[in-house]
Order: sequence, then structure tokens, then C-alpha cells
Amino acid sequence: MSSLAQVSQVAGDPAVHPTAPAPETEKRSWTAYLLLLPGVLWLGVFFILPLVQLAAVSLQSRFPGFPGYYYRDLNFENYLSALTDYAPHFARSFLYAGLATFLAFVVAYPLAYAMAFKAGRWRNLMMICVVAPFFTSFILRTFAWSQILADEGPVAAVLNFLHLLPGGHIINTPVAVVAGLTYNFLPFMVLPIYASLERADPRVIEAGGDLYANGFTTFRTVTLPMSMPGVLAGTLLTFIPAAGDFVNMELLGPQRGKMVGNVINDQFLAVPGGYPVAAALSFTLMAAILAMVFLYVRRFGTDELV
Amino acid sequence: MAGFKEARGDLQLESVTKTFGDFTAVDGIDLTVPRGSFFALLGPSGCGKTTTLRMVAGLEQPTAGRVMIGDTDLTGSRPYERPVNTVFQSYALFPHLTIRDNVAFGPKRRKDKDASTRTDDALELVQMTQFAGRKPHQLSGGQQQRVALARALVNHPEVLLLDEPLGALDLKLRREMQVELKRIQTEVGLTFIHVTHDQEEAMTMADTVAVMNKGHIEQLGPPAHLYDLPRTRFVANFLGQANTGVGAIEGTDGEHLVADVFGTKVKISRARSQVHDGEVLFGVRPEKVTVSRQQPQGVGNDVKGVVRDVSFLGVATSYLVDMPSGATWSCYEQNLDVEPIDLRPGDEVWLTWNPGHAFGVPVEEA
Repeated sequence: MSSLAQVSQVAGDPAVHPTAPAPETEKRSWTAYLLLLPGVLWLGVFFILPLVQLAAVSLQSRFPGFPGYYYRDLNFENYLSALTDYAPHFARSFLYAGLATFLAFVVAYPLAYAMAFKAGRWRNLMMICVVAPFFTSFILRTFAWSQILADEGPVAAVLNFLHLLPGGHIINTPVAVVAGLTYNFLPFMVLPIYASLERADPRVIEAGGDLYANGFTTFRTVTLPMSMPGVLAGTLLTFIPAAGDFVNMELLGPQRGKMVGNVINDQFLAVPGGYPVAAALSFTLMAAILAMVFLYVRRFGTDELV
Repeated sequence: MAGFKEARGDLQLESVTKTFGDFTAVDGIDLTVPRGSFFALLGPSGCGKTTTLRMVAGLEQPTAGRVMIGDTDLTGSRPYERPVNTVFQSYALFPHLTIRDNVAFGPKRRKDKDASTRTDDALELVQMTQFAGRKPHQLSGGQQQRVALARALVNHPEVLLLDEPLGALDLKLRREMQVELKRIQTEVGLTFIHVTHDQEEAMTMADTVAVMNKGHIEQLGPPAHLYDLPRTRFVANFLGQANTGVGAIEGTDGEHLVADVFGTKVKISRARSQVHDGEVLFGVRPEKVTVSRQQPQGVGNDVKGVVRDVSFLGVATSYLVDMPSGATWSCYEQNLDVEPIDLRPGDEVWLTWNPGHAFGVPVEEA
């Protein structure tokens, strides 16, 4: 936008262009709107309209005696039901997503650091390895994890052999769900952290050493703070989809103690007349995530660097 | 602090060599920089000057040789163990910290009890106190430069290293900062080692200049000496302009060598030539050459040439003159007379100079 403003200043300055035609700026701003048009149309039709529709559904009431039929209403009881009946599901969703985000950070940071500073000519290969899972479907990879974590699979077998698995199972436990979530969203954590580390001027990190900070202190006071924009982006890109995810719970999780994503899925697809509650749950989840993200960014965000 | 070396004294490099694979960046340099002096390492890019600087900082370790300050051997120690600080090219300020926190970084790491006062003093010294609360990206290049200087100076290092610190600034600001840096160095009295490829910058600021080329030091001395009497062809050409010609030494005439340069007998003061027989590259600085229409008598050296170009510069007039050898010489004449000699391209002129102003260096580059 600033370049547009500059152009208009120059064009509008009679000393610079005594005969400059004013339409020049109009033409340019039309170009900007034309470029925006496809995106705006797409989002308008496929995001804003459905969202409004969903909001309307979340306030509808059932026709008594006609399962699956609703009428327009302002029935806020759907939200009350979403909050009271399904509070444990929300709590589980945020707990598992939070754990997965933390674990993904613990795995991703050293990996991204190695890629940015130590990998040398292996860097591109490592990058391919990080992105490679995207070449297969999300569902398929999660199915593969159900094999890996199955009772007769390698992980459970080794842990059982070592008597390190108290319950005897990994599959169909919350541990499997968190493991699946961590795995599935790991690239979304690695890539932004890598990008922010790779962008950091190596001389700034050297300056830390030059100013009497040893390796660890330089990391703590220079490298880590400089990569915070990447960490922030990575945690958001992991936490937000993980909190709404239902596939990992469906394929790897226990029968009872589902996440809120599963409830929404069931209410929409399996429970007759579940649409209003499902819509209310969706909006509650969205609001809760937005509130958390807002607080998180306010606390850790550095406006200059994001 | 663990491992920190409180060294004092002159900086000494003893046969310092650095190789990267097959490439020798620095080739056995011996150097002593007296404590408290302003020393410039001058050379073209890739000559090894920055690598030398980084070895003093501890950011690179020499392949062979020793880095000492006074009697303390610093070879092999880490950057944070050395009483040396660097002003990096492009400044390398911490983007996430305020100006004040940038400057206070070193004192805090050293757990200095006076960190706060020293930070204030350093900001004061570079006149950046009013910007203390800002972030680096909110400052101009010149301001960032001052902060980078304060961030290094605040630690009172035994040696301060400056890696092309003025390279990113525009000409006017660069001139200002040259004066400023010199003032600060005189005020704090620390050893400054300044790496630059700008010969004017080196000559303006430094007490001693070392001209580097291809990993070794070509010549070292006060700027005026290097300019007046270069000892190699590289120094003659890199430091200021030089009018040169190649000739064969034919004999002596009292204190002078006589060489046959482009068909003319040319005299060079014997003491000012590095070679005394065979081929010599003879040179004279543009401002030492006099331009006249008539052949002057008794000066010692004169050659007839044809004016190619005349540029009036205000304080001086610059002439480009085609010589019989095919070379083009440049001459500066100060505009002392109200009516300077009116020369135009194509005019024939006599160029004359004092044999005591000429120098002779080996034809081959070392």
C-alpha cells in the first residue's frame, strides 16, 4: 500500500509531472482490487456464507416430533448444552493439542537448528525428509501409525518385552492420540522455526560470543529470542488444527473420552437432529481457540518481528 | 568469568596462517600493533584482511601461528574469553533488544557492577542517549553504526576491531564518521584495528596502515610514507594514483639511477628505488608532475606528451596526458594563478618532475 501512496503523491505533484493525468493512480488501484477479486469471491462464497449459515443453524430449534427438522430461532440453549455437556471434551482437546504442540516444539527446534546451522550440504535432503509426509494422505499416515502402535506392532512389543508398558497397550490410549497429533503436525512446527533461524544473520549470533556470552548463553539470549517469530507461528500452526482434529482420536484413540472434534463429527453425521448442537460446538471451539491465540500472541508476540 | 583472559599490551601476530581447504586466506603474517594506536588493514576484497581480523577476535582459529596480546597467548581461546570486541560489518545489532540492552549486553555478561553507568556513558560518547529505548530497526544506518560502536566500546576492550564499519554509509556520513571515530579513539585511547578496502578511509584515520594482498602484508607504515615511497607495484597502484612506466636501468649519475623509460632518460633517486639494476617500474604521483608548454631547464626529468583531457576541479585542474610509451598519465595542477595555462586536448606539453619525487619498484608483483 505504501508504494501506491508514493505513486499517487508523485503523480499528484504538479511540480514533478505538470501534465500527469490523474487516472494513472486510479488504474493502479483498480489493478489491486482485480488481484484481490478471486480470493475475495472464493472466501465469500465458500467461507463467509457457510459461516453465517452455520451461525444461523447453531441457534435453531427442533420441530417436536419431527426428528431432523428445525425452525429458525434464537435458541441459545444449544450453546449452554455445548458448554455443559461437552466441557470435558473441550478440556481434553486443549490438553492433548497442548501436549502435542509442546512435544512437537521439543522435537522440531533441535531439528530446525541443525538444518539451519549444521546441515551444510545435507540441508536440502533434510528439508525433503521433513516435507515428504505431505506426499501421502493424512488419513493414510494415521492408519500407518495405528499399525505401528498396535499391540502386535514393534513399539508395543519392545516396550512390553522391557516391561515398560504398564497397561500393556499403546493403541487406543490418549498416549497414541498425542503421539499421532505430534507426528502429523510436526512439519508445521519445523518449517517456520527453520525459516526464522535460517534468516537470522550469523554475525548477530557471533556478536553474542564476541560480547562475552558462551555458547549456551548466546543461544538463550540471542538465538532463541531471534527465532521467536518462528516458534510463535509453529505453535499456532500446530495447536489450532490439533485442537479441532478428530482423525487421530478416531483411528488411534480410546472408545470413551473423545475430543471435541469427534463430538462435532458425530453430532453432524451420526446423531439424528444433532445439527444445531454441532454448529454451536463448532462456534464455541472457534471462539475458545481465538481467545487463547489472542492471549498467547499478546503475551509472546513481538510485533516488530512477526 | 571462567576462562576470561585479562591481557594487556601490544597485539602481536606471529606467523599466522589460515587456510580454507586448498585456499590460503592468510599466509604467515607477522605483525605488531602498538597499544593505543589506530591501525588499518587495507586491501582489496579477498586479500585476507577480514580473516585476519576474525582470528584476532577468536571467530576463526589460525591454522598455524600465534595471536598474542602482551605476554598472553590467545591462540585457541574462544571469542568470549578474549579482551577483544568487534564492530561488525552491517553492525549485527541484536534485533530483539532495545539500543540500551544492546549496549548493556557485554557488561551484563561480565556481571559488571557498574553496567548501568557504563552503558549510559557509552551511549553518551556516541551521542545516542535519546534513542536508548528504540529497537535497532527504528534507527538509520549511521545511528546503528554508532550503537554498534558503543556496544563494543562499553567493554573497554584491549583491542577494538572494526570490520568495514563505514562501508554501508553514504559518502557524507562516512566522512563524518571518519572524524568521529578518530575523535573517539583519541578520547578512549584503545587499540583500534580497522579493516577497509577504502584507501582514503585508511589514510585519513590510521596512524599505521598495513597494505594486504593475497594473504600477506605488502607494506606497513604511516600513510604518508606508504604514499610517498611505495615498495611494491601493488602498493603504488592501490594507495592513491601513480603514473608509471617500465624501463631498464642503464647506470648511475651521482645520487641518481638513470633508466631508459619510453625512450627517454629518467632519473630516480637511488635511495628511493627498490631495484638497482635490470628492469624497474618507475612511478611518480600526479600532483608531483608539472605541466608546461615550454621545455623547462634543469629539473631533471621531462617528457613530451599530448593532452587528452582537461578537467577543471576548482582548487585544481586535472590533465590526462598521452605519453610516448602509450600510457596515459594524470597530473594535478593547483590553480594558484589567476590565469592558468590554457591547454586543450591535442596540445603538446612537457611534463616535468623532480627525481626526488619519483620511486622505483620491482616490475613483477611479489
